[in-house]
Amino acid sequence: MIDATPNALRRRLLMALGLAGLASGPVGAATEWSILHDDSRLGFEATQQGGEFEGRFESFSADMRFSADDLAASRFDVRIDTGSVETGSSQRDSALPNDDWFNVDVFPQATYVADTLRATDNGYAAEGTLTIRNNSHPVTLPFTWEVDGDRARMDGAVVIDRTRFGVGQGDWSDPSVAGHEVRVVVDLTLSKAE
Amino acid sequence: MIAIRNTTTFWGAGAQLLHWLMAAGIATSMVLGWVMVNLPPGAAQFQLYSLHKSLGITLLALVALRLLWRWINVTPPLPESLPRHERWLARAGHRGLYALMLLMPLSGYVINSAANFPLNVFGLFQIPNLTPASESLGEVASLLHLTFFWGFVAVLTAHIGGALRHHFVLRDNILRRMLPVRHASDDRSQS
Ligand code: HEM
Repeated sequence: MIDATPNALRRRLLMALGLAGLASGPVGAATEWSILHDDSRLGFEATQQGGEFEGRFESFSADMRFSADDLAASRFDVRIDTGSVETGSSQRDSALPNDDWFNVDVFPQATYVADTLRATDNGYAAEGTLTIRNNSHPVTLPFTWEVDGDRARMDGAVVIDRTRFGVGQGDWSDPSVAGHEVRVVVDLTLSKAE
Repeated sequence: MIAIRNTTTFWGAGAQLLHWLMAAGIATSMVLGWVMVNLPPGAAQFQLYSLHKSLGITLLALVALRLLWRWINVTPPLPESLPRHERWLARAGHRGLYALMLLMPLSGYVINSAANFPLNVFGLFQIPNLTPASESLGEVASLLHLTFFWGFVAVLTAHIGGALRHHFVLRDNILRRMLPVRHASDDRSQS
């Protein structure tokens, strides 16, 4: 008997190639991309005493699988080194790794894992889970993805509430000290992985 | 009613308003500054810093307005009856006060800029930073801010002392001409 559904075919093919052990979750034709860090930015916009400032994470890595024609097999898996936060202010940057903020010693990484990607009117949306300080919440990231040869540009932004993730505790949870809303800005240049 | 503009004997309502508004603002920002730096880090301290900076920037705008107003108005001269050295001292003191009214908020603005902190004035609007981020510049500005504060305290003490001496000891018009009161001697100069 031959089961001809695409998934079954794929499974048989993978088994035939002896790759079954590597296949966790849906693996398909989605292209694997690597981030060109020099031309990429994982940043955020936040407020302090009502004034806006910008920051970024200097160090992050990700498994990025994306194909516009195979969203089902597309997937983002991002790991961010919280200690690499940089906001252009030495006073702020020395406070952010502390217990009340990212608590870098205990929670060195934040993660974002999105398994569900869908097309929207303006581009795409990634439905995923953001985890900071072991607090996990669903976060839907709208983004655009433009491919140019073997390069791609990804631009997206989403507003999150930092206090839901326990970032800025105690006195720092006061919104007049630092606003609760933080706009995360994803601005990546990627190249097709070999 | 006193006139809006200065006369040759009295300060007008414009100059008086600016004088007393700034006097209250400067006193408040000094107290705020002193209290806030001695608070433990936390929300209360942050809020006082915020208030201190907003008030300080407002005072910077007011002193600019005040200098402009002084420039387009006559300045009531100091009485001829004053000894020369006292007139010189008063004039030097007033110049010092204007300099400090500018330098005090400017040095504070530089502390904030060098720390690369955003500055939102009373939650109404954000103003840009004056300088690039720099720890060493911040330290210099911080030291200046504190030095100017003590200089301000010294000149203000002389200023207030002098005003009170004129009023209670010399019993002349000097303090009254900065007060919103009407005097017989002023009738001829009312416009
Ligand atoms: C007439 C205006 C102002 C007065 C009289 C004033 C007075 C003071 C005083 C008395 C202190 C405590 C001094 C110390 O212990 O260091 C202080 C500290 C401070 N002020 Fe002001 N200030 C003024 C304007 C400003 C402005 C406009 C800003 C910022 C935009 C500012 C920012 C600061 C900061 C950040 C401190 C903390 C001390 C430091 O980091 O050195 N100030 N101020």
